[in-house]
Amino acid sequence: MYEVNKVKISPTQLFVLIVLFEMGSSIVVSLGAEAKQDAWIAILFGMAGGFGLYLVYHRLYMYYPDLTLTGYSKKIAGKLVGNIISFLYIIYFIYIAARVLRDFGELLVMTSYTFTPLLIINALMMLVIIYAVYKGIEVVARTGELLFLVVYIVAISGFILIIASGLIDLSNLKPFMETGFVAVIKVTLTQTLTFPFGEMVVFAMLLPTLNKPKYAKKVGLMAILLSGINIAITMAINVAVLGPDLYSRAPFPLLTTISKIEFAEFIERLDVFFLLYAVIGGFFKIGIFFYAAVIGTAEVFNFKETEKLCFPIGIIILFVSISIAASYPEHIIEGLDIVPIYLHWPMQIIIPILLLIGAYLRNRNKTSA
Amino acid sequence: MLNWFKKEKRKTKFDKNDNFRQRLDPGDPKNLPLFNKAQDNTDYIKHELGNSNDIVVRQLLIANKIKAAIAYTDGLADSKVISQFIVESAHEQTDMPVGKEIFQVAKERAVALGDVSEVTNWDQLFPSLLSGETIIFIDGFQKAIKGDTRGEEKRAISEPTTQLSIRGPKDAFTESFRTNTSLIRRRIKSPNLWLESMKIGKVTQTDVGIMYIKGIANEKIVEEVRTRLKRINMDSILESGYIEQLIEDQTFTVFPTVYHTERPDIICSHLLEGRVAIIIDGTPFVLSAPAVFIQFFHAVEDYYDRFDIATAIRLLRILAFFISLVAPAIYIALTTFHQEMIPTTMAIAIAAQREGVPFPAFIEALIMEITFEILREAGLRLPRAVGQAVSIVGALVIGQAAVQAGLVSPVMVIVVSITAIANFATPTFAIAITTRVMRFGLMVLAASFGFYGILLGLIFMIVHLCSLRSFGVPYMAPLAPFIVDNQKDVFIRFPLWSFKTRPRLIADENIKRMGENQQPRPSKGGNKDG
Repeated sequence: MYEVNKVKISPTQLFVLIVLFEMGSSIVVSLGAEAKQDAWIAILFGMAGGFGLYLVYHRLYMYYPDLTLTGYSKKIAGKLVGNIISFLYIIYFIYIAARVLRDFGELLVMTSYTFTPLLIINALMMLVIIYAVYKGIEVVARTGELLFLVVYIVAISGFILIIASGLIDLSNLKPFMETGFVAVIKVTLTQTLTFPFGEMVVFAMLLPTLNKPKYAKKVGLMAILLSGINIAITMAINVAVLGPDLYSRAPFPLLTTISKIEFAEFIERLDVFFLLYAVIGGFFKIGIFFYAAVIGTAEVFNFKETEKLCFPIGIIILFVSISIAASYPEHIIEGLDIVPIYLHWPMQIIIPILLLIGAYLRNRNKTSA
Repeated sequence: MLNWFKKEKRKTKFDKNDNFRQRLDPGDPKNLPLFNKAQDNTDYIKHELGNSNDIVVRQLLIANKIKAAIAYTDGLADSKVISQFIVESAHEQTDMPVGKEIFQVAKERAVALGDVSEVTNWDQLFPSLLSGETIIFIDGFQKAIKGDTRGEEKRAISEPTTQLSIRGPKDAFTESFRTNTSLIRRRIKSPNLWLESMKIGKVTQTDVGIMYIKGIANEKIVEEVRTRLKRINMDSILESGYIEQLIEDQTFTVFPTVYHTERPDIICSHLLEGRVAIIIDGTPFVLSAPAVFIQFFHAVEDYYDRFDIATAIRLLRILAFFISLVAPAIYIALTTFHQEMIPTTMAIAIAAQREGVPFPAFIEALIMEITFEILREAGLRLPRAVGQAVSIVGALVIGQAAVQAGLVSPVMVIVVSITAIANFATPTFAIAITTRVMRFGLMVLAASFGFYGILLGLIFMIVHLCSLRSFGVPYMAPLAPFIVDNQKDVFIRFPLWSFKTRPRLIADENIKRMGENQQPRPSKGGNKDG
């Protein structure tokens, strides 16, 4: 059995990783745009659902504290089916990592690097991520601790500047629940629940590396709460600054918001803030999916030297990110219409719940027999 | 025995390439005993050392009857001490016993030195002789007395030349091992300050000492330092840099993972935090390990000045580090990729200045940076008399003339100067040099990818920093892993009385540093009049 116990991360590090991961790409896009000015409510609903999902993953972790998702799916569903499930998850992680990478590449190409090929932008990003994952999750976690501070300092100063520039117009957030409760729930179920909160399924691969298992539940829930509130605040500010219409049309509403900052006639065009955030967020989101894919592959194929998988899988992610869609609109449509229903729902919700039922039955049999 | 020696001697007198010479070569385990007669021993020494005339050999009589001989190295041994406490004292002896007791009595009475011991074979004898000890042979004994007469010429203790301070002690380590240990011992008068010494370097036989405070230093780290030092099997150790490069955790990094300094007060504060000092004979630089990243931005005065001043200056220094790291890269990124981010009036000003400049910003920056680095390197190694010429030429090259010739823009000159000055503000040279190297990498990234390149470069750097360890301690501690208790001495220097604990991970046990209630308060019964 593959040893995940070699490296250990502390509860603080897990917390930081979850927050950075959750906020990673979700803060830069127009999340829950169909709910218009109620996007932030949809996000909070999604967060509530995220708690439930995390409890499912955590329960599974409690049943098998030493095993990753790919490890216990074999125990629960038997070797063949378990391996198939694990394999599906590996492909899922690689695919989502590639999607996020594509998102960031497109973002950069669209905003500042019009003449730079997407492949080059992505390759550079991937190179840094491969290096980090090659060094191991401990290093990624420590990097997270450092950059977490940076992200927060940038976020708070950006927040102050937005308020100081007098951009916020709270009337943009009214009327409350204009589209109706059902519409908000629909947005929650199709978008905000699965992205970003359902993506926490990747932490089912990371939980066994936690050095104090009893903190897993508390830390996970707190991190989801913090990131959920942060995302909701950010989206509410976006709507308040841009208005619901522009919010749902802008590909990267946060960038539009930030570029509106004009303070003391000198501090303006702070796009670099956005870039800084986007690069850090992307780094962790891709990095964690990538790491999960690497350790999953090592486990399914019984491969001992995990580091050696980093380069090949990294290259796969890079090329998938390019070939995944012919154009950005196609990429977005896939992301909004197909991925949540056909990928996120089964991988994040249905399979884990089935696994939990399986685990429950198996363990009940074990105790009764 | 005598026959054997004679044969051997005859052979060697004619055959110059004999195998005696190999005695001192690395990896020779020979443990030959001394000879019986004093004369033979001294002859052998002369022979072995190729008649080097700094080896002084003198025959003498103890109490006017016992034949003896002494040998010492001129210049390393103190000849006054030898004549007074060995030669004179030997002559003045009146009642010497006979037989086997002679040696013991001679050792105890005739040699009036502090540190006296016996040697029985040549492999012990030569290193002692060559480090300034005096060897006394007595006829009829296959052993010798060695007395500590070391008194080599050494430089007086002077002010440090690398890490200056306005407030604080002005003494610095010297090239002498013993002076260095005494400078530390003088400051920490605790029996728990332990010194382990060993000789490293098969040919140079350099004295290397490990110093730590027993009970504060982490045993595991001490053991790690010990094993890493014992692993070294080289012919020579000429400077602390040799040791540093042979014991550091990772070679392929631009960041220093061992700290070096010539200030005894820094070493003492490190020892008190639980670090291990490594003292090497022949260099004023003492190493300390484990070293963490943030430590390279702390200057001694941070602890001597009051905390608010110290904090402000420390923050300034960290800002200077960032400026010296990214200033040229940001200039390149702004002018090549992100012109829209510069406020309009400033953008126009920069564009107007750059109008006549024939190079793209990157080449312009590269030319100026390299010119500056060359100037600095030239200034460093020049004979002092020429120094002024260099600074005049340098000022002309980087300054006025280059701008007037239209080769570079004035803004570029400002950027390069700020970068250079900021680089000088880094308190340790080791990290300043690292910054210089990384700056060029970031400039290339900025030229090809703008801010995106700089950001990825910095993230890469942070990942790399987080992956480093120094003797098992994470290099970015206490930031990553984040240790709340130790944040008192990272960016902000808290008041001294709040440093209740030693840094975790470095000191393992005995974490507590001070008693309760160290915060100063005005006394209640104080003078309240007026």
